[in-house]
Amino acid sequence: MQTHFHMIRNYLRLGVLMLLLAAFAAPLAAQSVRPPGNAVNLDDGREEGPSNTLGDVSDTQLWDNFRGGDPADFLAAAPEGQLMTTTGQQWRLIREQYIRKYLGWLPLVVIGLLAVFYLIRGPMKISAGRSGKTLPRFTLSARVAHWFMAAVFIILGVTGMIILLGRPLIGPYLGLEVNSVLSSASLQGHNLFGPVFIFALIWLFIKFVRGNFFQMVDLKWIFKLGGFFGGHVSSRQFNFGEKSWFWMVILGGILVSVTGVIMLFPGLVDDIRWLQLSTILHALGAVVLIAVAFGHIYVGSIGMEGSIDSMLKGEVDENWAKEHHDLWYEEVTGKSAKEETL
Amino acid sequence: MSFLDLVEGPMFYIAATIFVAAGLWRLIGIIRIGRKPDISPAKGSATGGFIKGNLRHFFPRGIFARRTMVHILGGYGFHIGLFVLVFFGAYHIEFLDQRLLGFSWPALPRWGFLLAAEIAFIGLIVLWVRRISDPVMRLISDKDDHIGSWLTFLVMLSGAFAMEQAHDSLRATHMLLVNIWLIYFPFSRLMHAFTVVLSRGNSGATYGRKGMNP
Repeated sequence: MQTHFHMIRNYLRLGVLMLLLAAFAAPLAAQSVRPPGNAVNLDDGREEGPSNTLGDVSDTQLWDNFRGGDPADFLAAAPEGQLMTTTGQQWRLIREQYIRKYLGWLPLVVIGLLAVFYLIRGPMKISAGRSGKTLPRFTLSARVAHWFMAAVFIILGVTGMIILLGRPLIGPYLGLEVNSVLSSASLQGHNLFGPVFIFALIWLFIKFVRGNFFQMVDLKWIFKLGGFFGGHVSSRQFNFGEKSWFWMVILGGILVSVTGVIMLFPGLVDDIRWLQLSTILHALGAVVLIAVAFGHIYVGSIGMEGSIDSMLKGEVDENWAKEHHDLWYEEVTGKSAKEETL
Repeated sequence: MSFLDLVEGPMFYIAATIFVAAGLWRLIGIIRIGRKPDISPAKGSATGGFIKGNLRHFFPRGIFARRTMVHILGGYGFHIGLFVLVFFGAYHIEFLDQRLLGFSWPALPRWGFLLAAEIAFIGLIVLWVRRISDPVMRLISDKDDHIGSWLTFLVMLSGAFAMEQAHDSLRATHMLLVNIWLIYFPFSRLMHAFTVVLSRGNSGATYGRKGMNP
């Protein structure tokens, strides 16, 4: 009862406000909008908006009632009957002040770190050199699933970054019109390829889940920092880094897929805050995946000799296998990796 | 005349004319080569083999089906998806009606158009990444294969980008790529869209005349 009364009261106040605005606006529309010569702008420290709309009644109280919600709790339920909520404003601030301002730097920071690492450490060579003998590592369908995901990931990554960062990065330099065109194109492409990503994710999971569960041997890899700073680390078909990347892609992929579907079909949720939360989590998950993907690309290409063969040819050099995946080498060949290497 | 008017008007008509004329030139040229006279007594029907050869190759042989599943699904997905989105997309029907044919037919709803586009994209990307992932396929692929794949992809992608219809520049980019694709088509392996009937038929007729299953 009280809630209804509260709601009716707010609507009445809104009605009064609208009438007052209309009353003020009608003569203004017919007259010159130029202020009188002796007019001055007084800075009373208040937020912009109609002031003194209710005479002696407090404006602050009126706007507080309109705004509603609890500014301290992002996930607080919107009070019934409130006309405005603070979460929209908070969402906008998070998006503008944190996501757009800082998140875009993450991939660049990763690229920078990789460049420094490459300059210091250089590529990880096969210490025993190439043997000329190869081992089959990935089937053709697994390689196709991998490159398919890579292609879709790149399309979504580029279009997504334009959608997210176009206004602050493209607008000021190439103009708002260019940004508008690129954003429109990116949004359409991104929305179209979203479901394709879900398909790619499922395919990738089916093809690579076997061998990607964590094992005790992965602890050694962690303690030796993957051998990136020297020393030999044992691993099976996939090492800890590869496994971590796999699960990041799967779990991060599920996150961006679910949040993406919510944004594509907003009717699925009945509270706007799910949409606001989805945009933030979507951006966060996607940018982290993009940043880590650069590390994956680095190790899979210039960072480690022989690793790209596994995805281009499906085969790897035996010495590469002994050095980086010795337990897998022993499993598939039945030979000892140590004796062979020594 | 705006750039959009140019690519949707004169340039489109020139590209379409080249597509039809050069395509016919190639097809008629292939047919005119004819077949070497076969003096051996026929043990079966060459015509029946021609038809059978075309139809039977729509289905993979049992022993290869599993091994070539990705290729088969990718191929069907791409070709059927592309056909559906080109000829049943509302934008395309409207364009063909206004610019070329003067009549229209029922279009797919938007969701159907998007679904067809997604299936076509999946198929095309799968086919191309298979091309680069398989050492043998990589070896036998030349520039023409890659240009054909990429040009088709760019035509489709630019079409996807222009779907909002909010900017003429995006539509013009799509139409420019369509025109380039139409001009490139008859001089490339993209012609397989038409020559496939002749090549399958030729093999089928040869086997059919010998009384063998194509």
